[in-house]
Amino acid sequence: MSADRDVTTRIVRSWLHEDAHEDADRILNLVLDEIDTTPQRRANWLARRFPPMNSNVVRFALVAAVVVLVAVVGFQYLGNANTGDPVPSETSQPSTTPVASGEPSAPADGSLPVGSSHILWDQSQDGATPNLGIKITVTIPASGWFGDAKEGTLGKNGNVNAPDGAGLIVFARTNDLLVGSGDVYVYGDPCHWASTKPDSPVTTLDEAMAALSAQTSRDASTPVDFTHDGYAGKYINLHVPDDAVFSDCDEGQFRTFVQGDDAPRYAQDPGQFDLLRVLDVNGQLVIFDVTHYAGTPESVLDELSAIVESATLEYAP
Amino acid sequence: MDTDLVKLAQNGDKGAFTALAAARADRFLAASHRILRDFSLAEDATQQALLSIWRDLPQLRDPARFDAWSYRLLVRACYAEASQTRRWTPNIRLLPADEPMAADELNTVVNRDQLDRGFRRLSLDHRTVVVLHHYLDLPLDEVAEALGVPVGTVASRLHYAMRALRAALDADARSTTRKAAQ
Repeated sequence: MSADRDVTTRIVRSWLHEDAHEDADRILNLVLDEIDTTPQRRANWLARRFPPMNSNVVRFALVAAVVVLVAVVGFQYLGNANTGDPVPSETSQPSTTPVASGEPSAPADGSLPVGSSHILWDQSQDGATPNLGIKITVTIPASGWFGDAKEGTLGKNGNVNAPDGAGLIVFARTNDLLVGSGDVYVYGDPCHWASTKPDSPVTTLDEAMAALSAQTSRDASTPVDFTHDGYAGKYINLHVPDDAVFSDCDEGQFRTFVQGDDAPRYAQDPGQFDLLRVLDVNGQLVIFDVTHYAGTPESVLDELSAIVESATLEYAP
Repeated sequence: MDTDLVKLAQNGDKGAFTALAAARADRFLAASHRILRDFSLAEDATQQALLSIWRDLPQLRDPARFDAWSYRLLVRACYAEASQTRRWTPNIRLLPADEPMAADELNTVVNRDQLDRGFRRLSLDHRTVVVLHHYLDLPLDEVAEALGVPVGTVASRLHYAMRALRAALDADARSTTRKAAQ
């Protein structure tokens, strides 16, 4: 039997290696002509911080947030977030946020349509390969939310900076060895992160919470258990001290953690609150980092809460 | 190693990309031809794969893994081409041989026909694994990396594919034996 297999293998290999003289010069020339007008896509795994905003956008965000106030349906767990202590429900379900009937129309400003399902994070591979990780979909409850599935970010009017911004950024490991993100390492000191990166990543909820709770140079709440979409999780509130001076920190960054070698999560501004909702999805940690400030309108926090609560996760091993 | 070229190409250096592409284009075309069993589809797949490499190269995390990554894009392009057409050419051209076969086993046109028919009856998944492993000589773990599937899945597909090809050859042998006995 083994000999049969060897013979078959030899025959197949010989057949495949018959020289067909495939000459790809013509194809190569077409490609080289085309790359002149084909821009390269930037590396999305390098950008793991909300992009800086200009002041006009911030001002627009303030106005838009007031307008949206009247249209918001309340969601509960971030209700007291102005104190820096948003508390999610301990058992959250996929959103029951009202969804507009019919196909939501896309606003002209590029924001996400109200009531639309938005893919917050998608590691699925089209074509040849199956999904290789997590796909997260959320529902947009109100106007003015901007997002990018490749970045895994959402921001209210694009404003995620102090004193009143709000946003969401997700970190989820992919199984893809070639382009995926790796393990999460929690720095011992977010300000002096360069010398406090641990040798080992956090691989469980308890390890993640213990490492985050132990960080120096910042405040942290007591971790709380919760479930989301059938997955167990823990959340913790982190706070960047109001008097933190980022320029005194390593490379001017106040870093909470880094995924792999090159996807650090670092703070936007002093005074920033981060509600880290960490889920254990079949042994892989998925982190929802909900960012806000003391000045973030409560209505925006309600929207943000609704978005997070609406998240559904699909996992492909 | 092409790591330096890959890094340059990641930063938009077209000369570096040209060197990388030129070194691989013929091999890509040959592999896609064998996967798709159609030369024009293979040309399209090769073109798309090379363009994807240029476009997405900055997203490659480790330049040392360029080859595995580029094979993934080639395979993806082959799947895309296959999905866009139901047209499977009934008469593919036989590839001319310009060197002796490894063994007598392949010396008959009958064997080639049997192999070709057996190969085309395989699913795209199975053909791809056979080509990556037995034509491009990628070890199973690199095939798995290129396809983004577990090694066990690759081994399973390969086992099934080779068993099917062996059955195709056995059927030919039985047919020949029966004819000889008549």
